[in-house]
Parts: sequence; C-alpha cells; structure tokens
Amino acid sequence: MKAVKGKFFFGGVHVPDMKALAKDAPIEELPEPAKVTIAMSQSLGKPAIPCVNVGDKVAKGQLIAQANGAISSNVFASISGTVTDIVMLTNESGTEGQFVVIEGDGEGRVEYLPPISDPTAEQIVQRVKDAGIVGLGGAGFPTAVKLQPRTPVDTFIINGSECEPYLTCDYRVMLEKTDEVVRGARYIAKALGVTRIMIGIETNKPDCIEAFEKYDDVQVVALRKLYPMGGEKQLIYSATGRKVGLGKLPADVGVVVNNVATCLAVCEAIELGKPDLDSILTVSGRSIERTANVLVPVGTPFSYIIEKCGGEKDAPKKVVLGGPMTGIAVKDYDYFVKKTTSGILLLSDKEAAAEEPTPCLNCGLCADHCPMHLMPMNTAFYSSAGDIDSAVKLGGVMYCIECGICEYVCPAKRPLIQAIRKTKAAVRARKSQGGK
Amino acid sequence: MDNSIVITTPPHVKSRLTTRSIMLDVLIALAPAAICGIVYFLVDALILEITCVAFAVIAEFVYFFIAKGGFNLRFADSETKELKGKIAALKKAGRPFEDEQAALKAKRAALNKAAAAKMRSVFFSFIKQFDFTSVVTGLILALILPPAVNWYEAAIGSAFAIIIVKMVFGGTGRNIANPAAVGRVFMFISFAITTYTAANFGAVAGDEITSGATYLSGVLAGTYEVDAMSLADLFLGTGLMGCIGETCKLALIVGYIYLAVRKVIKWWQPLLYLAVLGLMAAALNADFAYFLPSILSGGAMFGGIFMFTDYVTSPKGVYAQIVYYALAGILTAVLRHFTHIEVVSFVIVLMNLIVPLLDMWIRRRPFGYKREKKNEEAKK
Repeated sequence: MKAVKGKFFFGGVHVPDMKALAKDAPIEELPEPAKVTIAMSQSLGKPAIPCVNVGDKVAKGQLIAQANGAISSNVFASISGTVTDIVMLTNESGTEGQFVVIEGDGEGRVEYLPPISDPTAEQIVQRVKDAGIVGLGGAGFPTAVKLQPRTPVDTFIINGSECEPYLTCDYRVMLEKTDEVVRGARYIAKALGVTRIMIGIETNKPDCIEAFEKYDDVQVVALRKLYPMGGEKQLIYSATGRKVGLGKLPADVGVVVNNVATCLAVCEAIELGKPDLDSILTVSGRSIERTANVLVPVGTPFSYIIEKCGGEKDAPKKVVLGGPMTGIAVKDYDYFVKKTTSGILLLSDKEAAAEEPTPCLNCGLCADHCPMHLMPMNTAFYSSAGDIDSAVKLGGVMYCIECGICEYVCPAKRPLIQAIRKTKAAVRARKSQGGK
Repeated sequence: MDNSIVITTPPHVKSRLTTRSIMLDVLIALAPAAICGIVYFLVDALILEITCVAFAVIAEFVYFFIAKGGFNLRFADSETKELKGKIAALKKAGRPFEDEQAALKAKRAALNKAAAAKMRSVFFSFIKQFDFTSVVTGLILALILPPAVNWYEAAIGSAFAIIIVKMVFGGTGRNIANPAAVGRVFMFISFAITTYTAANFGAVAGDEITSGATYLSGVLAGTYEVDAMSLADLFLGTGLMGCIGETCKLALIVGYIYLAVRKVIKWWQPLLYLAVLGLMAAALNADFAYFLPSILSGGAMFGGIFMFTDYVTSPKGVYAQIVYYALAGILTAVLRHFTHIEVVSFVIVLMNLIVPLLDMWIRRRPFGYKREKKNEEAKK
C-alpha cells in the first residue's frame, strides 16, 4: 500500500544519523566463535534458571535455561558444544549475573523446535513463548506477553524507524528479509486477532519504504526523520494519533508495537522452529577498521567481533553497546552479545565529545526538544538541591523516557540524564520504603 | 586497550552548540546596532561601547579572582610575613648565619613561587570558563545609554551590573534580573542620565527634534504630536535623539533576523511583545496612529529583541513565555501612558522579578498527561 505521512508532534531533534558508515554492508554471518558466554538475564524480568550442568553436551538450539516468571524468557545454546562452566560475571550495566559458558566442538549439531505450518493463534503465542523471543528493540520485553493483551487491540505496528544514529541492522533486515518480516508480522497479527498492520519507517530510508509498499496488507507510515521517532509512545502517536499515558501500555490504546528484528525472529521460530539464539548487530564508529552488520550467536564475546572486523583503527574514546543516544558505555570488550544487543560502536575522540559542563543558561532548549514535553532543567536544578518533590512536580520526571535529547542539545553540556535517573531512583526508593 | 576510554551516562554524542557559540551569535546580532551607533553618534558612542565592555570584563575578572582566592597566598599568608621578619632581623643583627639565612630565603622563594602559580592557575581557569556573557552585558548596556553619558558613569554602571547583579548571585545563569537593565536603571537613578544629543544625520522627512526631551518623552508628556516625526525618520533614526543602539531600527531588525534564523531566540517572542505594546498604546490613546510610533520609539524594539529574550531571566516554558511577553507589552504601554517617561528598562527588571512565579504557576503538561487525568476522574 502507498505510504502515508506520519503525524507531527512537538519535540524531537535532528541528530546527524551517521548511518552511511555501515549502511551498505550486507548482513554477514561470522564464523562461530570457539566459546560463547550466555547471560541468563536476557530480558526485562528475572534472570532465567539454568537447566544444564557443567559437562553436559548441548546442541545448537537446545534449551539451557528456563524462564523464571512471566516477564522472563527461555535461553538456548547458541552453538553446539559442551557446558564448561556456570559462573557469576559482571554485566555491561555493572550488576552481577549468572552466565553459562559453552565451549564449541565444531560438530554443528542442531536441535530446533518442530516447524509449524498454518498455525492457530494459540500455537503462535505458545511458540513465541517457547522460543524465548524478546523485544529486540532494546528493552527486552518478552514478546509472548505482548501478544496476550488484556484490552482489545485493533492495530499492530512494526517499528522500523531505527531513529538511533549509527545503527543500521534494522535497515539491513528490512531490505534483505522484507518477506520474512512481513510474514512474521502476519503471524503476530493473527495471534492478536487484528487486521490492521502498519510499519513506521523514517524518510531517511526511502528504499525500505519502497520495499514495504509492495505488500497490500501492510500500511507504510513514512515518519519524519527525527529522534526519537522509534520511541514507542512517539511512534504510536505518529502512526495512529493515540497518546499513551503514564504507566500505561500501548495495548491500553489498542496498539501493539514490535521491532522488525522481532518480526523476523517470530517468522523463523514458526517456519524453521529456530529459537531466539542469535543477534544481528551493527559494528560502527570512526575508530573501527571495517564497519559491518553481523549475525552472531548470543554469547559471542565483543572482542571476537572486533577482531573479525579488523580491530581498532585508532584508540577509541568511547565504546558503546547499543546506539549512541541510549546505549551503555563500557571500558573494554570483555562483554558478551545478548539477544537484544543492537550494535557496538567505537567512537573516536571527535565523535564522542566529553566536555566539562558549564553553568545552566536556562536557554530552554532541553524543554523545546523534549518529546515528552517535560522540563529537564527543573529536574536537574531541584534534584541537585535535594528537593525531590519539586523535581518531580516541576520537571515531570516520571514521564521521562530517557531518550537523551535534553543532554544532546544542551549548550552547557549539563549531565541531565544523570540527574533524571538519580531523581527517578530516589522516588522509587521512597516508594519502596512505604512513603507516599 | 588503554585507559583513555571514557565511561559516562548516555547520550554519547552531543550537539556542537555551546554557551560560547550562543553568546557569539548574540554579539554578531548586536554588531549592526553597535556600528550604527558609532556612525550616528561618532566618537561618543565608540568610547561608551569600549568602556562598558572593558569594565564588564574587568569586573568579572576581579570578582572571579578574589572569589577563587587569587590574592590569598601572596598577601594574606602569615607564614610569608613571619619569614620576611626573621630574615630582616638576621640581616639587622649582621650575624654571619649565612646558611640559615639562605635556607629561609629559599623557603620564602618557594612560597612566592607557589603564590604565583596559584595566581596563574586562577587566571587560566578564568580564561577557560569565560563565556562572553559579560561582553554581551557590557555591549547591551552601552547600547541603551544616551551618547552624552560620561565614560566614568558608564564604567561604574557596567561594573555594578556585573558584580552586584550577576556575580554576587552566582554568576552566569544564576542572576535573577537582567544585568544590563539593572545597570541602566541604576545609572538613571544615580546620575540622572536624561540628556540626549541628536543623531549625526539630519532628518530625511520630518522635523529634527533638538530640544532637551526625546521624541518619545515629548509625545508622552504631550509637548509633541504623534506625527511630529515621520515614520521613516523614526525607523532609520535619522534626526532623532535617543540611545546609542536604539535609534536605528533597521540595524535592530537585521540583528533580529539573524537571531531568529540561528534559532537563538524564538522568532515570535519580540513580535508578540511589540504587537501587544502597540495595540495597548493605541487602545489607551484611543487612536490607532499611536501603534507604529510606540513600537518604533524609545527602547521598545531593542528591549524586545535583545533584553526580554535573555535566557536566564525569562520563563522556561512556552506558555509562561507567552504570558510573560504579553504582560510585558501591556505593562510597558500602561506605564508609559501614566508616568510619561520611557520605562522599558524598568519593565524588564519588574518582569524579570515575576519570572520565578510564572515558572511555578504555569506548568507544562507532559505528553499523554491529559488522558491519564481523565481516567482518574472517571474512577472516582
């Protein structure tokens, strides 16, 4: 269907997208690493519980950890080999977590789930749950939970906006696996019982828009090139004009959103029986020798990926897992790919400017560009004075989606996101202590 | 891997905009007005502009130097004084304790060196944090002064604006009123700066007003008719008496367009202020002929473009800003009508003082806020 224009909303900012760096590199499947270290905490909820022991022989696609609770997900062996260790290691976010180490044997034993042809809605939901599919947009919310909304849903939106600069993995997926994405979306729509499928794509990816216009049951929404267009609330508003309130789910306004990579994973889980055991990620930045979009098993060490991409061109100033606006900065490459990992960026000195903050000028740029229409300067001002109540009341901090725009535009380079996170943590701590 | 890798919270990329670049943009926008002032009022204007900017920067530096303890080591260190006394005593006694004397001298030299290093470091940290705000303040203050002001009066006003209004409250970003406006009010009250001289150029179309009062104060006091000057003369400032930067409206409009295009200010802000001011003036006099003259005369246009829009002293939210500019326009027109003097700098200061209240009262609604509130009411 012909593309329609997305609805205008206030806020947002044009970030130089830097996608040209890795845009033209097709998805390449790297050779299997000799050893993978798979985190048990692959989704938003509690970490999964390992169901293998040290010394067990596992095949690629074999279940190695059971989901623990509703918003947890199953974890699978991503290569065939032997479990050599179950250890506690530090996650990239700084917390400790359990990891299963598998040493590959190169035998290539594969043990997938049986493929389903022409599945029913229940079968789809069950398969998505069994295959441990999580939202691959970044948060890692289990998809099976999204497919069982408590309120009636009439629209399913595929999130193909990929508004983060640098990242191009979704772009490549949309170009190379267009048909799989659409089939996956049809399965999800069937599970939800909706007929309206929309896909939001930013106008800086005209070839993707063209590719999806071929399908008659998919309504393409051409979104303005604006960060954070891929934010769930912004995408829903731009595509349908509905607003999702504080603490509400998209399903409350009759919408379910999934990333293109999730649609691809659903399609593969149903048609091939392949569980969620690998990840497509972008390797980019000015300090890497060769930019690429790679398909690697979950648990691959980042050092292996960097090595396969030719190593560092020069010493990077920052190493970022994920996109530059919301990703996590790490100090070395001793971390491991997760289901949700969307990229690793080696930012050079020029790109990652770490400047000293200067006094707030009160220029209001942060408020002008805030996609949630908040007042970040108030939050920063009152939280630095320890006045949490005013920070919440005048800054509207609990609505914050931490997209990072305020800090991006700030001419004084104030650490606004840090102040916002601090305030949120203080509010949560007070709530858990039984305060108001 | 080496240790040069930095870890911070996201975002990891930042825009190129800095405080300095914004202030340089403002200076560029002020340049046409400053140059026109020099062309119109010759060397008087040049002296005032240089004096105000120089004293503003010097005042900021002196305050910074004292606040950071640049003087402490050299002049207030008791140890240095003690050593000095001891050395003098030894010398006086003429005792041959050469080595003891040398040791004391070395110690004193080391202390002096440390003091000099400290002073140097304070100086460099001043250069590092210098963001041109005091240059902007000084230049704006010069541009809203009549050319007949003495240079030392301007110097005092400029130093007052920087030290008392800005630095004492905590420096850049913390002042509660516009330093230049307060400086002007301070000078107006202290030195009675009411003597104006006419612009260098003769009037093109209307009569040249050369007696004691300006065109605006003449109109307000009722001595002149509204059409005593042609609109063209008012617009270009030819044959008009007024402040250095406020006479040539063409230069101000050039500056406004630059600021609006560079998005330093929001384009609608000065327009809203001037429109409300003109309409209110017309309504108070029940004569629409007052609309354009009241916008084009006095400091309204300069204030609207460069002074009300000062980031630090204007409200943060968009709705609060609308209220702020509309109120400012009304207040200017009303005060002009009833006090018969030019009041823009007073209005700027008054409005600056209610900004914290506007920020408190007029709150912005987050995206998706309305829906949630409705649901809550429905539940009740």
